[in-house]
Amino acid sequence: MKQLLDLYAKASFIRAFELHIAVASEAGHAPGLVHLCCGAELAEVAICAGLEGAKDQITGSHRSHGLALAMGVDPVAVAAEILGRKGGLSKARGGTQHLIAPENGFLASNGIVGAQVPIAAGAALTAKTLGSCAIAATFFGDGAANQGAVLETMNLAVALELPLLFVLENNGLGQSTSADYASGGANLLARAESFGLKTAAMDGHNGANALRVAAEMVEFVRASGKPAFIEARIPRLSGHYFGEKADYLAHHSADDPLEDLANQLGAEASAAVRAQAEQAAHNAVADALNMGEVAPADLARVQP
Amino acid sequence: MTIAAALNAAHHQLMDADQNILVIGEDIVGGAGLDGSELGGVFGVTAGLAQRFGKSRVIDTPISETAFVGMAVGAAMTGLKPIVEVMFCDFMGVCFDQIFNQAAKARFLSNDRVAMPLVIRTTMGAGDGSGAMHSQTLHGMLSSVPGLEVVCPSTPADAAGLLKSAVASNNPVVILEHKGLYGENADTDPDLPPVPLGKGRIVSEGGDITVVAVSAMVQVCQLAAKALAARGIGVDLIDPRTVFPLDKELILKSVEKTGRLLVVDEGPLCGGFADQVIAAIATDGYRFLRTAPQKLTPPQTPVPYGRLLEADWMVDENSVTKKIDEILYEN
Repeated sequence: MKQLLDLYAKASFIRAFELHIAVASEAGHAPGLVHLCCGAELAEVAICAGLEGAKDQITGSHRSHGLALAMGVDPVAVAAEILGRKGGLSKARGGTQHLIAPENGFLASNGIVGAQVPIAAGAALTAKTLGSCAIAATFFGDGAANQGAVLETMNLAVALELPLLFVLENNGLGQSTSADYASGGANLLARAESFGLKTAAMDGHNGANALRVAAEMVEFVRASGKPAFIEARIPRLSGHYFGEKADYLAHHSADDPLEDLANQLGAEASAAVRAQAEQAAHNAVADALNMGEVAPADLARVQP
Repeated sequence: MTIAAALNAAHHQLMDADQNILVIGEDIVGGAGLDGSELGGVFGVTAGLAQRFGKSRVIDTPISETAFVGMAVGAAMTGLKPIVEVMFCDFMGVCFDQIFNQAAKARFLSNDRVAMPLVIRTTMGAGDGSGAMHSQTLHGMLSSVPGLEVVCPSTPADAAGLLKSAVASNNPVVILEHKGLYGENADTDPDLPPVPLGKGRIVSEGGDITVVAVSAMVQVCQLAAKALAARGIGVDLIDPRTVFPLDKELILKSVEKTGRLLVVDEGPLCGGFADQVIAAIATDGYRFLRTAPQKLTPPQTPVPYGRLLEADWMVDENSVTKKIDEILYEN
């Protein structure tokens, strides 16, 4: 139960953080569009719980605010980067889709669908070369599952025997296009198996299942030095980006994994956790907003 | 020592000195996995490395450029110094995202919190009947990508020395080696000292015209300069060696002396290296120019296959002397 409560606390913080980012975005404080991770929290927190930040490295997609937080990156620095503020991870050079914090094991998120996957193979190669017993993990969606970069890296990781955990977060939607429509073969776990990867399905609605599958697969990669593949079934509770006119979501079943877990933990315990998460997220985003925007003079210019 | 031998020796020296240097690519060990029959890369540049340093540091990959260039990017971000070989620069089409979005941008996007000590070696150039997809010259296109450094060596010393500086750099560096130059022989210091990035070389001196060329065009222009010297025409021949960042100062100094500029390049007629040099010098050295700056490149078509077609497509010594005569006598 302690583990589930911890999972719920971290996931609730990420949810609250994203909702505060949405409010800031709506008020015009974000330079561009923000892609929220609502619905993915349980799966992501469960997997990151088994990783050691800085030693292990992960890469994520454009929808990675929650992953950075799950790896323990400073929420104020994450919020400040998303909102283009002075205290941002990269002083506003990167932004929402380019969060970079290898000091916490969050190597990079990415604006190109699937491009983060081979980069994680590089972190795995470093771990293997240095003999550090570290592993790498890479998170991508069902949209990215059809990208050459992802398919090639599944093959490469097996061929070179890299300690790399692939995490396919299947929310059934690539932007606004359904995975059923876009995938030639609907069984993406079978696809991974055909590359010779050890595979496991994760139920992203079920905290206990997520924790068990995550622990098992992280342990397999660490002990064997070989790659493995998780398909986590998760909902996408928000649009592709915040503010999108997402009529298509009406056709998309969307039970909230956090509500299920809250029911399991009991109303009183979960409400207390939620209140704490809400306060912490409010503070982080407020602190970031107080930082002021980065002035152009701060940008080092390289001239030919 | 040939360029191929100098590159091979430099790889041995570098890998010997730094355990974190890995070499990654297709067929760089080769030989179908049979020990003792290694191919050492299709041009032999990586021969013997696997035997000496082992296959954990000299890694053959599947034919999967996106995956292995991306892997090299991630390895560079996490502490290794990969030298990755893309067999022909034409193949960069299939992995360009990892080059121009990932390798080129990581340092910037991290606000310099991650380094990118990545070297991509690749081949370029026409003249051996390899056809349109194994013969291109893409240094100009690559140098237009913010974040990349691009070098095109023309001698054994420069090839080895620029490789050493590229490995030492925290920026991603693309080295384009001309297929037609691997056998190019020259007396070379066996220590193969580093050659700084961004510094050009005066190949020969003369007072009538400045000619800028890299890679195989340096040899072509040397022959032309020799022929013109016999007729009393002096060519100041400059090999920038690094395409980006360009050694503009060296070229400007020469143009101040000669008042004329010709860029000879194997890249495209439009938007390539030749245009970049002319734009830079016309902007900053306009007051020195007595005639309009000129370029000599192949026509704006893919590289043709037939022997006569390819020979006609390429820039040769005669076309260079003819172009210089035109510039000098029309003005």
